[in-house]
Amino acid sequence: MIALATPLIKWSAVGKILLAGLIGGAGVVVVFGFLLLGLSRAARAQHSATRLADYALSAVCGVLVLGAVVAGIYAMVNKPPSPKPKKSAAVLTTPDRRDRLVA
Amino acid sequence: MLILIIVVVTAVSFDFTNGFHDTANAVATSIATAALKPRVAVAMPGVLNLVGAFLSISVAATIAKGIVNPKLITGNTGLLIVLAALVGAILWNLITWYLTLPSSSSHALIGGVIGASVAAAGSKAVDFHALVQTVLAPAVLSPLICLLVAALRTFLAYRLIRLLKADEARRGYRYGQIGSAALVSLAHGTNDAQKTMGVITLALIADGKISPAHFHVPFWVKVICAVAIAAGTMIGGWRIINTMGNRITPVESPQGFAVESSSAAVILASSYYGYPLSTTHVVSGGVMGAGIGKKLASVHWGVAGQMASAWVVTIPAAGLVGAGAWEITNLIGGAASAVVIALIAAALAALVFQRAQRNTITPSDLDRTHVTPATEAAKGTPAVAVAS
Repeated sequence: MIALATPLIKWSAVGKILLAGLIGGAGVVVVFGFLLLGLSRAARAQHSATRLADYALSAVCGVLVLGAVVAGIYAMVNKPPSPKPKKSAAVLTTPDRRDRLVA
Repeated sequence: MLILIIVVVTAVSFDFTNGFHDTANAVATSIATAALKPRVAVAMPGVLNLVGAFLSISVAATIAKGIVNPKLITGNTGLLIVLAALVGAILWNLITWYLTLPSSSSHALIGGVIGASVAAAGSKAVDFHALVQTVLAPAVLSPLICLLVAALRTFLAYRLIRLLKADEARRGYRYGQIGSAALVSLAHGTNDAQKTMGVITLALIADGKISPAHFHVPFWVKVICAVAIAAGTMIGGWRIINTMGNRITPVESPQGFAVESSSAAVILASSYYGYPLSTTHVVSGGVMGAGIGKKLASVHWGVAGQMASAWVVTIPAAGLVGAGAWEITNLIGGAASAVVIALIAAALAALVFQRAQRNTITPSDLDRTHVTPATEAAKGTPAVAVAS
């Protein structure tokens, strides 16, 4: 019954993942879309000022996309560490104790 | 010592199957949209899996942690349980590969551990509440989360495409796909290679080769696991790549970008918040979401249903094989039992490979880089229709 006191689904973690996915998801798609749009418009621009503005838009969006990639790598490298095995666990027993268990 | 060597070799073999089974997660959509040639596509995640395996070792030794009573995994008995579990996982990976179905290698390994442990010590050896909390609930939620995220991303991507020329959009999103696929590959390397590192380290502790007071993953274990998963990835699981990239829904480059970037976001967020999700389930859900998010696109629900069935069966099936393997080792006993079970596993693996040769899928079957935009617009049928 003690085990059942803990919820089967960690809703707070699920909510955070969904939120991060949706915000990051929508954000990256929109930003990447504007990056492409800026490049496309710059290639067709008649005036140098317009071209510069479009390139600036692309550059800002490019930085934001790179920022998302860096955030991803940070999340990869900084995973929460797994707890060390408990000292009471038999995986930590000595070879002598182990031999008795095998026998 | 002989049992330990057999366990290490079997663990490395599992890592190899894990690699080629999961290649599809990173590159299936990149190949389907012709963002990359198939050979190049599998080389990229191969290298990134190798790099990822060295980036972080925090996942090591977490397989089945809290689910199976650790007191079982000790001495020769523990080594034989680990061996039986690995045999269950490898054979289930090969069966789902033969059936062209993406399924979770981690779940197969957990299923194998549970089956072997229950066979060895009865059902009290397993904490079923923890199993539901840490494995089954995330398994159900992960495809749904990524489906939702990818559907929204695809919807937004197609709204923005209206402002672009078709050719620019296709080319631009292909570059985006390559970048996001690279991120998924790196994340895969930081997760999956470490699970095998954990298994081998656990075996070394059980055998007394590593002091439990100074828990660490030896460098040679990191190297062989990284090389095995990278080699498996580079071999390319073409059968599963075909299912993921072509048989669930026709994928265009904006959808491919949505799938890979959604998968990367969900996988990395789940890792960061300490709620690990299956990469295979996440990416599969993402592909379905990309189909739902595009107007007039269709998801082949029959294929999706087959995949979902495989996911449901993975843990019990790998568990049954693991339990059977344990019973055989228990019947024979000693180091000889490890040799026998390893030989049986190798023979069954060879049989699956031999049967798979009857309907092979090659990289050239999946290469769409020669497909023109006009023919891509008419795309809607699988590149290779393999009966499973």
